[in-house]
This record gives sequence, C-alpha cells and structure tokens, in this order.
Amino acid sequence: MEIKELEKFLLSVQKPGRYSGGEINSVIKDKSKIDVRFAFCFPDTYEIGMSHLGMKILYSQFNQRDDIWCERVFAPWLDFEEVMRKNNIPLFALESRDPIKDFDFIGFTLQYEMSYTNMLNMLDLAGVPLRSADRKDLSPLVVAGGPCVCNPEPIADFVDLFFLGEGEEVDLEVIDLYKEYKKAGKSKLEFLIAASKIEGVYVPSLYDVSYNGDGSIKAVTPLHDAPKTIRKRIIKDMDKSYYPESFVVPFIEIVHDRAVQEIFRGCIRGCRFCQAGFIYRPVREKSVDTINRQAKCLCENTGYDEISLSSLSTSDYSGIEPLLNKLLEWTDDNHVSLALPSLRIDNFSDELLDKIKHIRKNGLTFAPEAGTQRLRDVINKNVTEEEILSTCKTAFLGGYTSVKLYFMLGLPTETDEDLKGIADLGQKIVNMYYDMPERPKGKSVSVSISVSTFVPKPFTPFQFEPQITEAEMRRRQEYLKSCITTKKISLSYHDSSTSFLEGAFARGDRRLCGVLENAYKNGCKFDSWTECFDLEKWLDAFEKSGLTAEYFANKEYSYDEILAWDHLDYAVSKNFLINENRKAKEAKTTQNCREKCAGCGASCYGEGVCFEKH
Amino acid sequence: MPDAELAVTGRVFALRNIRIYFAKKGRLKFVSHLDMTRFMARIITKSKISIWYTEGFNQHIYMNFALPLSLGYEGLYEIMDFRLIDDNYSIEDCLESLKKVSPPDIEFLKIRENFAPMKEIAFAEYIMDFETLSDEAALKLSEFLKRESIICSKKGKKGKIREIDIAPKIKSFNIENNSLKLILTAGNENTLNPSLVLDAFFEACEIPQIFYTVKRTMVFNEKLEEFE
Repeated sequence: MEIKELEKFLLSVQKPGRYSGGEINSVIKDKSKIDVRFAFCFPDTYEIGMSHLGMKILYSQFNQRDDIWCERVFAPWLDFEEVMRKNNIPLFALESRDPIKDFDFIGFTLQYEMSYTNMLNMLDLAGVPLRSADRKDLSPLVVAGGPCVCNPEPIADFVDLFFLGEGEEVDLEVIDLYKEYKKAGKSKLEFLIAASKIEGVYVPSLYDVSYNGDGSIKAVTPLHDAPKTIRKRIIKDMDKSYYPESFVVPFIEIVHDRAVQEIFRGCIRGCRFCQAGFIYRPVREKSVDTINRQAKCLCENTGYDEISLSSLSTSDYSGIEPLLNKLLEWTDDNHVSLALPSLRIDNFSDELLDKIKHIRKNGLTFAPEAGTQRLRDVINKNVTEEEILSTCKTAFLGGYTSVKLYFMLGLPTETDEDLKGIADLGQKIVNMYYDMPERPKGKSVSVSISVSTFVPKPFTPFQFEPQITEAEMRRRQEYLKSCITTKKISLSYHDSSTSFLEGAFARGDRRLCGVLENAYKNGCKFDSWTECFDLEKWLDAFEKSGLTAEYFANKEYSYDEILAWDHLDYAVSKNFLINENRKAKEAKTTQNCREKCAGCGASCYGEGVCFEKH
Repeated sequence: MPDAELAVTGRVFALRNIRIYFAKKGRLKFVSHLDMTRFMARIITKSKISIWYTEGFNQHIYMNFALPLSLGYEGLYEIMDFRLIDDNYSIEDCLESLKKVSPPDIEFLKIRENFAPMKEIAFAEYIMDFETLSDEAALKLSEFLKRESIICSKKGKKGKIREIDIAPKIKSFNIENNSLKLILTAGNENTLNPSLVLDAFFEACEIPQIFYTVKRTMVFNEKLEEFE
C-alpha cells in the first residue's frame, strides 16, 4: 500500500506515528533481491513493542543478512483496527506497508499470557487462518518465541513452530532451512519435520497429547521421529554474540524511550516465584569493555541522550564499579544521562558514589515481595528488614521523602500474619522517618505499597502450587487494607481477575487453545489493558469449551504428575525444582549461584556463572 | 541579538546563530511538533555538530522553530534556529553532516548565518489538495473566500470558545485543478490554520467534508518576499 492511500486513514486516528513507519534507522530494502521476508510481530501497541529489547536485537541481526528483510508489525489500537476492518486494509508491515500474509514468516514474541488474544487478532487482521492445521502452504509460517513459550501449549494449535530460549542462532538456522526447502518445493510437513531436528525448535503438531479421565495428562507422544524432549538454546559467549549498533528511533514517545545496553543474561538469585530467574539460566556476563563499546556506539547511532543498563539485577554484575567508572568517562561530556535501574549502592566506594550522585534518580523502590522474614525465606528472597530500613534511612538523609515497596499476595504458605507484616513494614518506615531528628524539614513522608497477585509459573519451584481463588484474593486484599491505619501509606493492587486468567494460561495445556479462540471470537483483545479486559467474555469462553479457569489456576500438581511443559527442557531439572519446592515448605533458603552451586542443571552448557572462579 | 560568549575548557567560543531550512514530507507529516523537536535533537546528536546546549539544571539542545506545523501537514519551507559553539566550522559542512544522518522524509534545504528575526514573518502559503472538488463546490468556495467577513468559532487556550472574523487574515487565494492555494497571515500570534478556513466553508455552505491534504509551501515577510 502506498503512503498516499494510507494517509487518508491515518489522519483519522490517534497517534498516526504508530503506523507510519519511516523512523530513523528503520531498514528499507529492495524486495526483488530478498529471499526471505520476516514479519516480526509484537502483540501489543507500538509504544510497548518498540520498547522491547529482544525485538531490536533480532530485527537488526536479521537485517544484517542481504537475503532477509525483517520488518516490524504491532497490534493496531482499537480506533485503527476499526478503520482497517471497515476499509479492508490487511495487517501490513511498517517498513514496506506490504500485507504480511504474503511474507515467508510471521513471527510473534510472546512476553505475557494476556497478549495471546492479540496474536489471534493480528493473524485475523492479516487474513491468515488462525489454526496451523488450516494453513496448508509452506508460507506464511507462523512462529513464536519469548518467555511465554516455555509453556506454549495453550497456543500450540495456532503456531507452526516455537523457538525455545534465545533466538540469535536458532532463528537463522530455521530461516536457512526454510530457504532450502522453499527452493526445493517441499511441503510444510516436510519442512516442519526437518526443523524439529534443530536444537531449540519445538513443532507442537508433531506431538500427540493424551489425557486421563480426571483431566491430567497421560502422555505426550512424539510423531515423525521428533525428539522426545526439546532443549532451549542459549548464547554461550555474550562477548561474541550479536548486539545492534543502532536502534530504530521512534518519532512518537514510547514507554522506554532511550538506548538500552544489555549487561548480562540470567540471574544468580533464584527467587522461587520468579520465572525469569530460572528460564534464563545460566548467568552469562558481557565484559566491561564490550558493554562500554556497545553502549557508546548505540548512543552515537541513535542520538539518544539517555542510556539504561539492562539485566535482571544490575547490582549483581560482577564488574559494576569499573563499568560505571568507564561509562561516566564519556556520558557526561556527551550530554548522555545514565539510568541505573534496580541498583544497590551499599558497597560502592565514596568516590563512585560522589560521581553517580547527580544521576537522575527514579525514586527509591524495594521489592521485599513478602511481609515477614519467614515468608521471604519461603520464596528465597534475600532481603532483610534491617537492610530495607537502613537503606531507607540513608535515602531520607539524602533528601528523599518517598519510598515505593512491591509485594506479592497469595504466595504459597501465606497467612494473615504475613499480610499484616506488609502493613507493619510500611509503618516501621514511617515511624523511622519521624524518629529521625535530621529528617528533611517540614516534609511529610509517603510510602506507597504496590501489591500484585502471585501467579505460579512453569519452570519455577512453585510450578506445582495452586493459585489462591479469586474470592480469596479479594478477601486478602481487604484484610491487608484493614491493617493500614495511616494516610502516609498508600496501597494499590493488581487486578485480581487478570491474575486469575494469567494463572490459568501460564500452566494450561492444549485444551486451552479452544478457550482462547472462543475468547477471541467473543471480542477479547488487549486483555492487559484494564479498559479492554472483560472477565465475563472469558468465563463464557471457558464454558463453551466445557472447561473452567479454576481447574487450571487453582490446581495443585503432585511431583510425579506429567506437566504440560515437561517435554521441554529449560536446563533446570524437575528434580531440582522439586527439591527447591520441598525446601520452600520448610522455609529453608538456597544460596545464590556465586555463593554455592545448587545443582540446578544449567551447567550443562559448559558456560557462564557455573564455571566462574570465585 | 548580539552573540553571547561561552567558556568551554578555558577557551572562549563565540556562539554562532544558525538558521536551517528544511522540508518535512511523506511519513514525517504524522509527527507532531513536540515529537519533531525530539526528533531534531536526535538527528543533531547523531550528526555530531557542535551544538550549544542551554545551561540550566535540565540542559537541552537550544532549538527555535519558526511556525509549528499541525499534525498531518507537510511543510516544504520549515525553519529552525540553533547555535553552534565551534567557530572554525563551515556551515556548509554542518548542513552536509545533518543530511548524512537524516531519514528520507526530511530534506535539509539550506543553511544561513545571516537572517531576519522570526518576528518579521507575516504570511504563509498553503496548498490544499482535495480528493475531488466539483465545479459547483469550487465556485462556492471561491465565493465564500471573497466574503467580507467570515465568522467562525475558535477554541482559545483556556478552553473558551470565542468568535473571530478570519476574512481579514486571508491575504489571497487561488483555486485550480482540485487544489486551493491560500496565503494567510502568520507569526506574531496572528497565525491562521488553513483547516479553520475550510471547516468554516463546509459549515457555512452546508457541504459534506471532502478529504484534503495540506502542504505549507512558503513563509513570507510583510512585503510578501520569501522569508530568510
């Protein structure tokens, strides 16, 4: 579609910059010289998708190749979707504005369960049949990756092929195989069978799932000689791995509108509720020199005046002090500001503290996750009350007057006493502030407590645990509210119905594919947006399939039961997760990867923190 | 304005006031003025020209745009002022550096070091291309634009709706081949948005909205000379 034709429609919607393309560093190629066209789809708005680092890495990496043209696609917002449907405009890619149904690959990155309906909606807008079985031709192939893919069963009927783990290598191996098969005129099935032999590729249609009478899984049987278990892929040497020299710089303001420099993958901590802490193992760091070089290059090529360091826990980077010293050598002179999310500064030298003093602070936040030490031990969150109070004190002395605390409600073994502990901790911070003679004069303190609901996730020690019922979530929220007696503490919740559905889909199996399709047909989309979410439509979708969301969300699994994702291998062994689950019940903590190896299984790659010399 | 002086690492630089002229076309018409300022700052940073930053608590690149352009309009003669801190730098090199890092929909036209103050802007020329314009509608439009008084309501800054007469702000017009050329007053809080003229026309003559695109093609001074 020509921009001239499109502009008439764009001028009638909000933020047309979401759909216009043409940004700085976006890649335009001559399509007559391209073998493989890849539509990289993010199933949410432009502002959210454009903030996602994984997409930036793969977009640049694919486009380095002369034979591939990778383009970006985002979910159109409601107003533009209406215009598209009314005027028969098929979903198009931003760079060429060509309909994506004619592409070789339609690839989705799945970051959260509540974006699944958007994936279906985008396929429908593209004019592509939703179900893999209804797409007979070799192309377009619908592929997906991202953290949700560690349990892809609820979307298994829609996607032809999943990439497990990190995509930099495996994606290109699949694209190369596709090129070969396309040239030879092979069928889709022939291609999928061959692709399933590549490590990290999961082709769901090559596995048959059978169920017992009680709804539990009886067996997962590979067909056509597909591997029995599929292991995720990782990049072994982060210094040699591909990193973009530039990002597409949007015209409109996006959520994270800055350069982002990845510093390591994985997390040494092993908090038992945290999926990211397990599925990205083992920890692999980039060297200080690599990070410094890449960060400088990114700022020069994008023109961004802010750069943020990205990882699951910045303070755990082993060379954080030399790194900051190196970065500060050039950032100030170039009018670049450094953003340091989740940085603990307790053990920094005075000299460095002085240097980073003027860095714009995003406010003081802590994530104790649980209200009592007992429950923090259960979840293996190694933050103590003393640490929180002493850091708050330092911050108050430095002029801060507000603190933000993050907690989770509904954690395994949680009692009302643990909930009261949340309010008590808030109160202790307030009291400490007023007990300080040197507190900022004439200023009141504010403690905001933000509470989300625990969702048991695959590949965590809590994967066996039930989520509490929605009614119980509300009771606990009310109870917590009643424990707070001062206006200095403000309390906010994550919506309980969204958490409940997230719980069902996180650990669900293939029977949820039908539910998802029903929900989509009921008009569900943008489910992570409160203004769009409608629980009634979802419950109706479950009913139509003869299932309940409670079955999946509130189910407790025994250690020997087959889980929907057991045939996928994310390098942490089930035995390790069982062992961690037992220790959780006894409120015993596990040391982090640098203190003592817990034997999770991630050392199988022969790289990373497992082999660091301590 | 006399050139200010700035001390950088012991050396004293003369600040040079620079004006750059550019066209904002194609996909860039969907970029609002606020987004445009951010976009320009990034291009300038990428180009590595020695630009002057404001010296406050929140330092930022100093930029001054002549007439902010509405979202959805193309501009073929846009003007932006900034300051350079390097006195050995040829402004032609500066123009080349900017061209090198720019996406295709922005075109840097020329650069100057001697120019008239922004307050001398008096008129702007717009071309509006209609999807279709029947002879009958064209005639009505022509008659409408010749009226001695065209009252329309305009939303003020505080949300108050006030009535204004826009007829005196229409300097001249020309209609041919489905397109309307308008020269309207501009600058000094006297800017008239061409869409306001057409909205008033559609309403007054009870004609259903016709789709049109807007291009600002030139900016003039009081004597209707090209503003530089």
